[in-house]
Amino acid sequence: MNVLNQFSFETKLDLINSFLFTQQVTMPITLTSSDDKSFSVDRLVIKHAGTIETLISTMGLEDSEEPSMPIPLPNVTGSVLQLVIEWLTQHKDDPVKKKEDDGERRTDDIPQWDQDFLKDKPQSVLFDILLAANYLDIKGLLQTCCKTIANQIKGKTPEELRAHFNIKNDFTPEEEEQIKKENAWCEN
Amino acid sequence: MAAIFDMTRRVTMHDPSNKDLLAEFMEEDEDMEVTVHKRASTVAMSVDKLPDNILTSIFSYLPARQVLVVSSVCRRWRNVAWNPNLWRFVSFRPSYGGLQIANVDHFTHLIGTRFVDMRNVELATDLITPNVLYEMSNKCPKLQHLTLDFSTAMQLHDFTDLQAFPSRLRSLTICLSENIFLEGFLRKVYTFIASVEILHIIGTYEKVEDEEEEVYETVNIFKLKQFLPNLRVVNLWGVPFITDDHVDAISSNCAHLECLSVNYCAKVTGSCLKLVLQRCKKLRCLFLAHTKLDNNIVKTVEWEKTRIEELDIKSTELNSDSIIYILSRLTHLRWLDASWLEHFNDAVLESWMNSGSFGKLEYLNLDTCDSLNESSLVEMVNRHGSQLQGLNLGGHHKLLEYFWMNMIPQLKNIRVLVMGIAEDCCPKVVAKIHVDQFIDCIAQNCPKLSRLEIRWDDETLRFSDKSSKFIDVLRMKCLKLHSIVLSDGQYYELVRSNFERADRMSVVRTTEMCRTGHLHCSKYYNQLLFN
Repeated sequence: MNVLNQFSFETKLDLINSFLFTQQVTMPITLTSSDDKSFSVDRLVIKHAGTIETLISTMGLEDSEEPSMPIPLPNVTGSVLQLVIEWLTQHKDDPVKKKEDDGERRTDDIPQWDQDFLKDKPQSVLFDILLAANYLDIKGLLQTCCKTIANQIKGKTPEELRAHFNIKNDFTPEEEEQIKKENAWCEN
Repeated sequence: MAAIFDMTRRVTMHDPSNKDLLAEFMEEDEDMEVTVHKRASTVAMSVDKLPDNILTSIFSYLPARQVLVVSSVCRRWRNVAWNPNLWRFVSFRPSYGGLQIANVDHFTHLIGTRFVDMRNVELATDLITPNVLYEMSNKCPKLQHLTLDFSTAMQLHDFTDLQAFPSRLRSLTICLSENIFLEGFLRKVYTFIASVEILHIIGTYEKVEDEEEEVYETVNIFKLKQFLPNLRVVNLWGVPFITDDHVDAISSNCAHLECLSVNYCAKVTGSCLKLVLQRCKKLRCLFLAHTKLDNNIVKTVEWEKTRIEELDIKSTELNSDSIIYILSRLTHLRWLDASWLEHFNDAVLESWMNSGSFGKLEYLNLDTCDSLNESSLVEMVNRHGSQLQGLNLGGHHKLLEYFWMNMIPQLKNIRVLVMGIAEDCCPKVVAKIHVDQFIDCIAQNCPKLSRLEIRWDDETLRFSDKSSKFIDVLRMKCLKLHSIVLSDGQYYELVRSNFERADRMSVVRTTEMCRTGHLHCSKYYNQLLFN
């Protein structure tokens, strides 16, 4: 340890802290999907996933030196989990969002990488990612997915929306009439 | 020590190995993807599997009009679309893109069921009725921001029966009409509005064409202020009857006033300022654009005792002496709009810099101050360039390539930058501007830039087939750049298509569509916004 003596107390503290910190951060965590695929990820990578964060702190894994038990994620399949981890890895240096911002609801500010990430995904995959983000409490990913779908909705008529999302019109003719009447309060 | 380094190295190496891991999974995953596709086509292509709360947050990104469309898609969507949570900010001002109400009675009926979570609402004249206001005050406990737009009013409703009015408002905006007197209405409202902190009174400045037309005092400011003791922000915008007496009256009751704006109130001379600034010690922000500020009167104000950080004296007729008098005494000044001032000349700039009150300045707008010369601006940027976050030197026809190529490297912290001059307002710029060097210079020196405006027109700008490369560099280096405003023409098309190719839509616009300002950098920007 006498190598350290050349440093001032503060520098030493910094060095030790950064040592502890990096070690804690990089303790890999194993996640297991519903179809039993295991993924080993960096501690830093999953900081956006509120659910896993909470799990880790309640299970007291925070300080454990040993490789932890795998964390089972029964609601997420391997293929989706892999995509989610891809997103998390890309965003591992972003600040963690505490809660959803209440402010402007704009949809033209989806980060470029996120746009490319979701661009060619089939609708059902997009929904699966969205569900996983919701389950794992990943606010940034949830927001990106919601905005992407909102952009698909914008400018479409009810008929077009039904076709786009494959939704059945389950109103009875009477109800349709009723809706028409009800909507008359507002000229659209 | 070596051990620690070793450890960190291993730590940093962890990442790539992780990527290998991912790659492994990728390979393995190919057949998995196939199953996903299969499942998609057979089972659930529909959104049915999304729970209500997710559907709600998706809808929360839609404009009100689209939420109405969505509500007639299917039963479930209808239920979700009418979650009151989605109807927190609603405009019912059709002339500003809001919803047009066809049936007021039906609307009144809906307030208690569908709009109970409303926080921010804008009402057009025909909706400002005793019934609607009564319903809102009873059924919308969270209502904090209310806009009452009388600007299209022909006649007011009868308010004799008005017994209730939303009483937890933080901000109240009243848009005036030219000749409808609001006292009868306001008399019923006064006792409910003591909680208001932000008051906007929006005048008819834009509409008045004939100056000789009689000006009616449609709101009794003297009375109104007695019921608003908690005002922090007052914005009287383009109200033709406002005089210094009115402003004085408001200040006599508002010890908490932080921001006062009387832009476009053409009768204000500044004679109220002495008292206003003595009374309102918290005043930080003073906007006096397009007012009739009087040179002798502004010199009676004890500017040095104030804490003013933001000042707007755009398009006033102040002479050089007065400008020097004011600026050299405002030691806290952070934000200044002194554009379109004929008398803002070299002597003003020099005295101001020498007075020592330039130190905190971050945003400076000297747009079209024709009396300024290049040399004094060079001096200014040399001395203070690094502290500036916003600089508008548009409309100066003498500032050309040489000036900007030497100045841009000094603007290390710049966020908002405006340069160049449009053809139509001044003698034609004879010299050609090689825009590529500018772009490159900006990209290399101004990493924080978020807004850029270059006004020179197409005939003046010279660019080449290599221009695209420079724009690429700009895009890569200035990552925060989210607005570029250019004069319409070939160069604009080039830059726009470059950004759009990179999926950066609506970044590049023409000078006809928008102007770059500094107002968003004001601390009170959000509170000064009105429609």
